[in-house]
Amino acid sequence: MSAFLARSFVQKMVTLFFIMVISFAVVHLAPGEPSQVDPLNPKFTKEMVERFRQQFHLDKPLHEQFVLFYRDLFAGKTVSWKDGAPVLGKLFERFLNSLPLFIVGTLITWTLSFPVGIQAAIRRGGGYDRTTTFLAYLLISIPGFFFAYMLIIFVVNTFQVPVIGMRTFGLSGAGVVTRMMDRVWHLLLPSILGATGGIAILSRYVRSQMLEVENQDYVRTARAKGLPDEQVHYKHALRNALLPFVTMFGLVLPGLIGGAVIIEYIFSWPGIGRLAYEAILARDYPIIITVNFISAILVLVGTFLSDLLYMVVDPRIKL
Amino acid sequence: MQDTATGHSFSAEAFELPPQQTRLQELWAQLRKNRLALAGLVIFVVFFVVAVVGMLLTTGTSPRLDPSLVRLEEKLRPPLSRAKLEDLAPEEIPPLGRYLLGTDELGRDVFARMLQGAWVSLTVGFVAVGIAVIIGVILGGLSGYYGENPVRLGQVAIVFLLFLGVVNWSILPSGLPIVLVIASIGLAVIMVLQRKKQSQGPLAFMDAQLLSVDILITGLIDIMLCFPSFFLILTVVALLPASIYNIMIVIGLTSWMGAARFVRAEFLSLREQDFVTAARALGVSDWRIIFRHMVPNAIAPVLVSATIGIAGAILTEAGLSFLGFGVPPPHATWGNILSDGKNYLFDAPWLTFIPGIAILVVVLSFNLFGEGLRDILNPKLRERH
Repeated sequence: MSAFLARSFVQKMVTLFFIMVISFAVVHLAPGEPSQVDPLNPKFTKEMVERFRQQFHLDKPLHEQFVLFYRDLFAGKTVSWKDGAPVLGKLFERFLNSLPLFIVGTLITWTLSFPVGIQAAIRRGGGYDRTTTFLAYLLISIPGFFFAYMLIIFVVNTFQVPVIGMRTFGLSGAGVVTRMMDRVWHLLLPSILGATGGIAILSRYVRSQMLEVENQDYVRTARAKGLPDEQVHYKHALRNALLPFVTMFGLVLPGLIGGAVIIEYIFSWPGIGRLAYEAILARDYPIIITVNFISAILVLVGTFLSDLLYMVVDPRIKL
Repeated sequence: MQDTATGHSFSAEAFELPPQQTRLQELWAQLRKNRLALAGLVIFVVFFVVAVVGMLLTTGTSPRLDPSLVRLEEKLRPPLSRAKLEDLAPEEIPPLGRYLLGTDELGRDVFARMLQGAWVSLTVGFVAVGIAVIIGVILGGLSGYYGENPVRLGQVAIVFLLFLGVVNWSILPSGLPIVLVIASIGLAVIMVLQRKKQSQGPLAFMDAQLLSVDILITGLIDIMLCFPSFFLILTVVALLPASIYNIMIVIGLTSWMGAARFVRAEFLSLREQDFVTAARALGVSDWRIIFRHMVPNAIAPVLVSATIGIAGAILTEAGLSFLGFGVPPPHATWGNILSDGKNYLFDAPWLTFIPGIAILVVVLSFNLFGEGLRDILNPKLRERH
């Protein structure tokens, strides 16, 4: 166990180093300069450009910039080039906005996928199974932005409620209930959109896991000794089929940051995805690198957690 | 059995084999049973034809259908509406005198723009996935076949120097990259000579063994899998000059990991099999064993993931175009038709629905065909039905 932890830690550290290099290199090796140091930009005098370059170490060779950048980042001193605000503070503020989307989206995904997948597996080959299979493909294939506009048209025309942004402006005088409902309406569509792909993939996965377990000998035995179907499916089969999903809690982590760029763009949701999009438009390198870097770290932590969870849940696995 | 017992066993008809079926005929028979996959294939063929015809009709100096022709007096006309013939110059009149799919906010014919966009989607899908499959097969093959072989310091140095040279050249073409490339080639030559003579040259330390090939390549796969792919693609595409080729290359470079893993896994089991040992005993070169004998046996899962990968690449391209980082503006893509149309969501919903449904149908067809192919190519699943 401790040997596994140590080995895994060393591996992750090496990976982390290369992630640092790639996040940094991707941005800095691209041709062109950030707009603020562009000598052709008439708003900047030569002295201002020089000062800017010195302030952000842009006059140094790349490898020194690399060291300086990560030293500042780990010390929490990195600032955005656009407005000089600390990057980590900005990210945290936007993260708090993205968090409700993430939580509601994940809840929808997990609560919908399991019943759908289990039912599809139990009624394998039937009409329900075929319908949900086709629906799953449909949800995987639909472009998120198109689906978003279909939902917007539907909700706005049917319920006459505003859905863009985090809340409706000018409601501060209204009652608590009105404001709450307003928040819920604004939260609902982006969360559903964030969950669509997840529902499709997860429900398919639940179905295949369930099918695999239903073909096992002990399930046949349970059925042969005359147990009611309910008990066979939910007590004998489901419990064993659930094993791999415990580990997926770890893999949910990366969703905290990435993946919502288009949805947050459409709904003008001031979350991390939108911050990243704005940073790309403004060539705000510190933010771009940090977002890439942090989401890669979340993937690393997530896979590590899922390995650990697997070990805790499944005594057959020895690492 | 009966024939053998009654002594007819040596007659010709007793040995008559079932009608010969080639592998392709067998696949086709399987495919016909899977209706969703067949539908996917049909849609894909139609899409292919439409994209090629569309490319032919909309390119050239005086195209049959001009996707960038602006008719301001005819803006936001709904689908199938008649063109106002009296207001238009002869070359501005759409075919059949109607706007089959309506016009956009500048009066451009959406039908022509959709045709032009179809070609973009098709090429991005195929070229990006082609790049990904090539990288995946090469890296996965190397790590599966040469797994335990060590990587030497010199080899790393060669690749590093070459990489530096190429990167340097792409930023600012000058003398330095040439020096770097020459240095890397020189180092390669020295290493080969050194190996042949078994002598201790001044660069003997370059023979030091670092890692195994397998650790190097699986490590690379793990690193690449850590990045949020859409955001990474978005970053790179936004920073590079806008061009369709950059999009293809970037999508290809960030999506080869699945193919590499499949090929590696297949190779690990294939290389222990007798036909590979036989080929090696015959003195067949490694290169030929890998590409002639092993890759054809390992390609099935790669084909499946490539088909589904095309769907993903088309979606990614549409997403990039939608955010405004796709193909530069006058050129139409399904993503940017939708992106332009979203401002008229309630007045001209066809500008959103036509490209949206087109993307949905094409992506769905690739997904269905890919999943069907997976079932067909997997004999374990076949028995179950």
